[in-house]
Amino acid sequence: MPPKPRKPPPRHPGTRNRNLLLAGAGAAVLVLVLVIASVLLARGGGDSTTTTSTTGDAALFAGIPQHDDVLGAPNAPVTMIQFEDLQCPICRSYQEQGFSQIVEQYVRPGKVKLRFAGIAFLGSDSEKALSYVLAAGKQGKLWDYAAALYANQGGENSGWVTDALLEQLAGDLGLDWSQLMQDAAGGEVKQQAEAMAAEAAQRQVPGTPTFFVQVGNGTPYLVQPTSFSIDTFRPILDDALGQ
Amino acid sequence: MSDRALRAGVAVVALGGTAIAAYLTYVHYRPSALICTASGGCETVQESSYATLLGVPVALLGLCAYLAVLALVVYDSELARVGAATIALTAVGFSVYLVSLQAFVIDAWCIWCLVNDLVVVPLLAVLTVWRVVRQPEAAGAA
Repeated sequence: MPPKPRKPPPRHPGTRNRNLLLAGAGAAVLVLVLVIASVLLARGGGDSTTTTSTTGDAALFAGIPQHDDVLGAPNAPVTMIQFEDLQCPICRSYQEQGFSQIVEQYVRPGKVKLRFAGIAFLGSDSEKALSYVLAAGKQGKLWDYAAALYANQGGENSGWVTDALLEQLAGDLGLDWSQLMQDAAGGEVKQQAEAMAAEAAQRQVPGTPTFFVQVGNGTPYLVQPTSFSIDTFRPILDDALGQ
Repeated sequence: MSDRALRAGVAVVALGGTAIAAYLTYVHYRPSALICTASGGCETVQESSYATLLGVPVALLGLCAYLAVLALVVYDSELARVGAATIALTAVGFSVYLVSLQAFVIDAWCIWCLVNDLVVVPLLAVLTVWRVVRQPEAAGAA
């Protein structure tokens, strides 16, 4: 007679409950550790309430003519239009990478002029920053002020564009703060911002930074650098200069 | 549902999560998009200070977690089941935190992060906890 098959051992609800408790408690501890670590490390690395208040490389623009939103000689044969949002971290990357070399190698010698086309699609901090940057253009230092804001860029829409920061940077750059405030709130700056937004819409600008190159008074054409290195921009600008 | 099916389900979901986490890790180290868009948050989530822990991308941590779950589901002991459930439940908790960050702090969305946090992770948690609740009927469990 074949042996009876053995019954499987009974389930032990206690073991199951213990295992669930272990998993839950372990997870709770790990989540707590991870969240605390994340908050502490993120704040330590980039607290929006602290600013370095640097103004970027102030010498970069020294001696280069600035007329409102244009940097460079008015008669430079090629214009590069830069659509930027002052909160955009990728725009900041561009500032930190090829921008200064473009300024030194193409703008300073009078080959290329840059036109700032600020748009504020990322949020309220973008709008405030743009108003003050355009206002700085009335005092001939739009590009300096934009560079300073990029150097102090905080978390997106974290409230990093404070009056204190704006005033500090204005002071560092020798701007008239009262005039700056007045212009930033004024109708002319508002119209200028609206015009830039309209141009971005008309050119179907997909985001920031977006670059257009214009030869003389010709139609600006979109260029799409694959990196922000000067080596990427060089053939683009040389090609335009050769036209 | 049999334990075999559950085990296969965990593996499949963990593989899916591995793929997403691997992609996000790749994007972190080599962002191909040089542009911020209004809808994409200009990779803001990936660029934010919350995207790394002690220099390690959160996506990479997620990748390691998914691989650990895969290893545990292959090994498959009682302790391995508890371990997999612990990892999955941890991921649920941390995902809630990450989604909250996107909504209230960073104010930008990372689409693949959301797919991971709102679909893959909860599904993994359900399946791994279900396996802990269902103890094997054979006398193989320790």
